[in-house]
Amino acid sequence: MSSKHPRTHPLVEVRGVEKVYPGGAKVAAVRGVDLDIARGEFTALAGPSGSGKSTLLNLIGTLDRPTKGDILHDGRLVTKLDADQLSDFRLGALGFVFQAYNLIAVLTAVENVEYPLILRGMGAQERRAQALQALKWVGLEGCADRRPDLLSGGQQQRVAVARAIVHRPALVLADEPTANLDSKTGGALLDLMQSLNAEHGVTFLFSSHDPAVLSRARRVVRLQDGELRGEDRR
Amino acid sequence: MLRLAWRNVWRNGRRSLINVAAMSFGLAAIMFGQSMMKSLQGQLIEKATGSFTGHVRIQRRDVDEPKFPDKFMTDPGRAAKLLQDDPRVLVWGRRIQLTGLVSAPKMSLGALICAVEPEKERAITDMATYMKEGVYLEGQPKGAVLGRKIAKRLDVRLGEKVVLMAQAADGSMGAEVFRVVGLQETGSESFDGQMVWIGLKAMQELLGRPGQANQLVAKLKDIDEASAVAADLDAKLGPGPIGALSWRSIDREIIGIQAFQDGLLTVVLGVVFAIVALGILNTQLMSLFERVREFGVLMAIGARPRWIVRLLVAESALLGGVGTSLGLAIGSGLIAYFGRRGLALPVGDAFKYFLPFPSVIYLRPSWGMHAFACATVFLVTLLATLPPALRAGRLKPAQALRHV
Repeated sequence: MSSKHPRTHPLVEVRGVEKVYPGGAKVAAVRGVDLDIARGEFTALAGPSGSGKSTLLNLIGTLDRPTKGDILHDGRLVTKLDADQLSDFRLGALGFVFQAYNLIAVLTAVENVEYPLILRGMGAQERRAQALQALKWVGLEGCADRRPDLLSGGQQQRVAVARAIVHRPALVLADEPTANLDSKTGGALLDLMQSLNAEHGVTFLFSSHDPAVLSRARRVVRLQDGELRGEDRR
Repeated sequence: MLRLAWRNVWRNGRRSLINVAAMSFGLAAIMFGQSMMKSLQGQLIEKATGSFTGHVRIQRRDVDEPKFPDKFMTDPGRAAKLLQDDPRVLVWGRRIQLTGLVSAPKMSLGALICAVEPEKERAITDMATYMKEGVYLEGQPKGAVLGRKIAKRLDVRLGEKVVLMAQAADGSMGAEVFRVVGLQETGSESFDGQMVWIGLKAMQELLGRPGQANQLVAKLKDIDEASAVAADLDAKLGPGPIGALSWRSIDREIIGIQAFQDGLLTVVLGVVFAIVALGILNTQLMSLFERVREFGVLMAIGARPRWIVRLLVAESALLGGVGTSLGLAIGSGLIAYFGRRGLALPVGDAFKYFLPFPSVIYLRPSWGMHAFACATVFLVTLLATLPPALRAGRLKPAQALRHV
């Protein structure tokens, strides 16, 4: 996850991004956002519901296209890529953790983790080894063959984290990753994310409105009504 | 991908089972229908050609009705040699067939008199197998075989005499006494109520037409070659008054029945295919709706849109594969069962009026048609998946992830 060559530009550059959803009211969910994320950051997007956190994460994660402005990943302008190029880009560079875990119900934990590697065309043995390694990092090596319905919420979210990091992405985006977990489990998940950030150099950008969660971030970017309202660094 | 597709198929097991059942029973029904129609048609052709028409006939071109040629070939020698020399011909014989009068002491009736070479006729048609009393015509130069019903109407019994009358070559009425040597019962009103069989030589004498016949009837080694053999013979006979016809040109009503049944079968198959397609379409649309968020996740982790399309098509292919295999097994089983046991059909009784026809149909597989049905059910399954699959491929990841 670390680069062999020194880079001068940030990992993510958001330049004057605006997102207006089509429909009646035409309210901008995100407007005039400029933001840089450096490699190795452990950054939170903070703000109340409807402040544009998820929209901004989706835009940075190339799951959605901005109405205006540009987003660059590692110096590459991604807002102009077509659907297939975006899929390939996400497959190589990004990992996602969702609030509702979003594991594939019919696959076991290890098969879920293997999925990005299957899409990359990796051989069966290599990808199984890599997926088991990722499960080990999240402390679930003993649950590899369980299907999601046999795992607790916290375990499912750990599997989701393993799936997000298994292909060594440059950036992991997590939208309210602890929102469906109790405080103890949520805290454990944040411990895991922090250790992956510290020990493996995974860059995390996550959203939350929970002060306890935000207190764990080294950088907190505040959003309100779709606009950046400042940031704190620790 | 296949592993995921297979598990997705059984994610909603009950729904998939209903689909597989609809597909397999639909296919089995199609195969059963195909087999029933084709067996019925096959049996009809076998009976029509095997009891009277033959596979190929040589007769005058200028007859009013090819089935009942009323004009004579004065010198059938060349035509006979052509049949004799053709290796595709199993057996052939001469016939005179005409309408005449059969008289008994109490009554006279119109009849279809068919004069044959008995030894050859036994190999060309199965009429000799319908004898209920007495013997067939071999060794009976002045013997006549009557249908039981016409005999009953004439009130004649075995061993009694009848007089046959028909128009002779010179225009006079030829008449000859024959002894009833056999009574036939085919079950067909037309045959049992109208037919009188006698030897060819006796008929030629009665009509004053030595060596003449009004048809040469051939049975081929392979009935499927009838059209080709008839065409070859016809070409060899040239543009003269005598031509060759296959059974298809003689028993045209059978071709009509066949065309009608094939049309009916096509409509029924179309309906079954449509039901299968709608079932699959419904399943895939429901599956798509339930899994929109999952497709969003797959796209988020890097699946290309066409990968999602391929996944859904693979699911359908697996579902279609299971349904088709099961349908093929059920259909083959049913055909094999009714092939041994037979299937009693009232339609047999309807055909019986015109020709000896059994009420029981023994099903035979028509593998070419069954393969077409299997392939169509499978393809329909795949095609029905395309609209929802393409729709899934067009989903926007963020929108899909927001789907509840």
